[in-house]
Amino acid sequence: MSRNRSIEDDFTRRMIIAAGAGGVVWAGLVARLFQLQVLEREKYQAAAEDNHIKLALAPPQRGRILDRFGKPLASHRRAGRVSIVPEQTRDPAHTLAQVAALIDLSDERIERLAGEITASRRRNAGFVPVVVANELTYEDFARMNVHAAEIPGVQVEMALTRSYPRGRDFAHVLGYVARASQDDLERLSVGMEADEAKRLEKLFRHPDMRTGRQGMERFAEEYLRGKPGFRKLVTNAHGRVIEEIPDDRFAPVPGKDLYITIDSDLQRAVIERFGEESGAAVMIQVDTGDVLAMVSTPAFDPNDFVNGISGTAYAELRDNPRSPLYPRAHGGVYPPGSTFKMVVATAALESGAVKPTDRVNCNGYYHFGNRTWHCWKKGGHGSMDMHNGIKHSCDVYFYDIARRTGVEAIAAAARKFGFGEAWTLGMTGARGGLVPDPEWKQRVMGEPWYEGETLNFGIGQGQLGVTPLQLSLMTARIAAEGRSLKPHLVGLGPQSEEDGILDQPLDKDIIDIMRSGMYGVTSEGGGTAYRSGDLGLGGPRMAGKSGTAQVRRISKAERDKGIRKGLNIERELRDHALFVAFAPADNPKYACAVVVEHGESGSGAAAPMARDILRFAIENDSGRKPAYGQTASVTPAGQGEPT
Amino acid sequence: MSRDGYTGFSRGEARTRTATSLNFETMGPLRRLVKLPWGFILLIIAMALTGVAMLYSSAYTNPNEHNLWYLQLTRFGISFVMMLVLAMLPLSWWRTLALPAYAFTVLLLVLVIVMGVTGGGAQRWLQVGPVAVQPSEFAKLATTMALAWYYDRVITPTSGRVLIHLGALAIMIIPAALIFKQPDFGTTLALIASAGVIIFLAGLSMRVILVGILAGIASVPGIYFVLADYQRERVDTFLAQLSGHATNALGESYQIEQGLIAIGGGGVNGKGFLQGIQSQQDYVPEQHTDFILTVIGEEFGFIGTTALLLGFAVILGWAFYSASQSQSWFGRLASAGAAATVAFYIVFNVGMVIGLLPVVGMPLPLISYGGTAMLTTMACFGLILSAHMHRDEKLSSTGII
Repeated sequence: MSRNRSIEDDFTRRMIIAAGAGGVVWAGLVARLFQLQVLEREKYQAAAEDNHIKLALAPPQRGRILDRFGKPLASHRRAGRVSIVPEQTRDPAHTLAQVAALIDLSDERIERLAGEITASRRRNAGFVPVVVANELTYEDFARMNVHAAEIPGVQVEMALTRSYPRGRDFAHVLGYVARASQDDLERLSVGMEADEAKRLEKLFRHPDMRTGRQGMERFAEEYLRGKPGFRKLVTNAHGRVIEEIPDDRFAPVPGKDLYITIDSDLQRAVIERFGEESGAAVMIQVDTGDVLAMVSTPAFDPNDFVNGISGTAYAELRDNPRSPLYPRAHGGVYPPGSTFKMVVATAALESGAVKPTDRVNCNGYYHFGNRTWHCWKKGGHGSMDMHNGIKHSCDVYFYDIARRTGVEAIAAAARKFGFGEAWTLGMTGARGGLVPDPEWKQRVMGEPWYEGETLNFGIGQGQLGVTPLQLSLMTARIAAEGRSLKPHLVGLGPQSEEDGILDQPLDKDIIDIMRSGMYGVTSEGGGTAYRSGDLGLGGPRMAGKSGTAQVRRISKAERDKGIRKGLNIERELRDHALFVAFAPADNPKYACAVVVEHGESGSGAAAPMARDILRFAIENDSGRKPAYGQTASVTPAGQGEPT
Repeated sequence: MSRDGYTGFSRGEARTRTATSLNFETMGPLRRLVKLPWGFILLIIAMALTGVAMLYSSAYTNPNEHNLWYLQLTRFGISFVMMLVLAMLPLSWWRTLALPAYAFTVLLLVLVIVMGVTGGGAQRWLQVGPVAVQPSEFAKLATTMALAWYYDRVITPTSGRVLIHLGALAIMIIPAALIFKQPDFGTTLALIASAGVIIFLAGLSMRVILVGILAGIASVPGIYFVLADYQRERVDTFLAQLSGHATNALGESYQIEQGLIAIGGGGVNGKGFLQGIQSQQDYVPEQHTDFILTVIGEEFGFIGTTALLLGFAVILGWAFYSASQSQSWFGRLASAGAAATVAFYIVFNVGMVIGLLPVVGMPLPLISYGGTAMLTTMACFGLILSAHMHRDEKLSSTGII
């Protein structure tokens, strides 16, 4: 019994030891929990915070581009977007087929999307939506919205898209934005530190980001872009966004609004006046140098490029015989023809080789060396001084004074007027054309300059090439009586740095002779564009000068038959019609140049057009005080609301 | 908590209530039910419901898991009824069933090795119709019963020699070896540990125990090389963690790290029910099963985790106390062994989650999602309750084999 008792006691003792050991272990667990949850809680709380708050890049809203009076030319539009969240769809092919039944998707696109969805699943990024269609029509958007709920994994949303409300009107001036390509990124990150370039690349990978690919959009890229910010997102362990925490400190800074000097109503009027014709017109405000209209027609719709243009649509634009992609106004190089005669005359007077009163007798042709140069008027003009030479556009007079002035002096005067210079004014595609001289010819063609070429130079033919923009600058310079002129296209925003050629004043007396000659053209009996001089406004008249740019050489047989006068030859073979003009003739406010491709006759096709657009500008007071002029003085740059 | 009328620890007092206990056999089922220690049972219910709530919190946002809490509640309901039935079984039945249950479990463990389903790198599951069962879980209870049965037979007033413990060792080694073969290191350890508690309580000489412990420590490096690759990785992870080199955010140290962030982030008061950042956003893998403590820690803080451990301590303490009151060796050892089994579940699980032990894959009793562990735990409680109700019976040795 005593033995038994001792076993019983031993058991009780061992139970107490076991319970005690358990108590120690329990205390150890509680101690560890105390360490974690009481002593070190802040460390773990911070870690939890780090874990689930992610900063996502928030792209800035691109600044708008506004016209002279604050009308939007490039802004934003909400566009319907359909995307598929790969992880929410069981069978991507089936889902895509369901979407394709509702909106138009090509087989090729469906195949590419299916590949993208599979790839994103494999990368474990199945929560990042894959964009199926970007620019839904209103009908498509409505239809998708109704049916999206029935198709798992399909998202229909509104996204901000760059929009050009004036469509084609400003295609060549503004250019367009597009998703940044590798080339764009390399161009944009020139001179950047490696990490800065990396940040830029990351920013441009955002589906809402676009970069200026052409035109003003490209020129003012940084001004318009703004600064990206961050969105504070609460995510789960898989990176899926649960909610967003608003925080103004991280908000993106929107890009600034850019004002350009163009009056969009005038621009529209010019385009409408062109109708079906191809060509270009540029109008400049004489006292400020503001470009009020800058038209190249036909044009393309920049809206098509924002989300990437399809290969076939682009090929259609590229192969169109009317070349809608061609920025004629500042990148189209034409022989100026007779519109160049004021430059030749200015050179002649500046060089002192010719006096305004010097007379040249025109019989309709001019012999030099063993060749004969013809005047446009078969029977000749008779005795011509400078005023009449311009007014009648007498070729023989200009052959003679050009020969006497010499090629160098004419080329120098041409450059003073801004020819030979690419005036970008913030656009892309500007070309300088060509002001030929002996040095150039020797260098490029390896031949000496023949004096006969000087005669062609004298009537604006030969190697000479100019852009409509350059012609309008020349005209503005004449209208401004030779004062220096600074052309602008950017009203408020970064200014392009142009060569200071037009800073150099021209002799007022000489320029007055040009002005009176141009007045004669439109307003004196015998002027080549006599009927166009009246603006129909009861007072102000237009002064101008016509020009015809030969598309091909005229053979002797044709000249004898007078065939080139006819409109019955093929359009492509007809001459380009040019007209430069300013108005009002006595106190010029607007100067313009008009080129009508294959318009045949400067005075016939281009002069009435110049008259009508000048009349529109005067009637509508296109050069009145711009919106940015009023706002810029009271609010910081770019922040002013258009009035 | 309610002690169901018990107020003291002394055996003398217990004897005065002998009549109640002896009469238990003669009572009708309803009377018996009423006589059960309901304070203990209510605490078990409270803990299980806490588990269901935590399960809801951990999984309700996940469309594939949002009804787990309901499944778990159903399982608890079934297990609870089973526990009540087991509680009312005469203790002699338990003793009679011990050997067959043990033999059956060993057979199942052999079957697992022969034709088990592989899951998580080890062969642990046996597919029975639509359900997969984990015989190693049942082995813990069966081994406890078998050991209690064995000692009940061999302990005599003259015993106390070392030799009688060799038989117990054999009973323990067979299932332990089979489970280790699966391989399931955690369950093997838990089984050996709870069997060790029984052998200790049965009076194995302290000197032998000391030698055994020293031998065990000496064999640790040897065991390391016997381990399967994934087990060795876990140990490595744990060692790296102890030495502060656990920076790897993937795999196991990721799980531990995220678990610690959840628990530590809960602070003193916790973030509130359904408010846990880590818990709600899937940061902790397996948070509805083995890592459920991270949800409690994050949403209810130090107060919550301590209360949980306190609840377990009360349940186990009462079970131990009850075991000490038993008049039969079977009742004492089976009850204490069952309590130890549950206790080691808790220690291994909590120790693992809070970074004190390597990851061993052990659920938290009553709280973690999982059927087999729930059944085992509730069966353990059933055994404890049965032993409690029949604590005054000195089971006769007659009629057994």
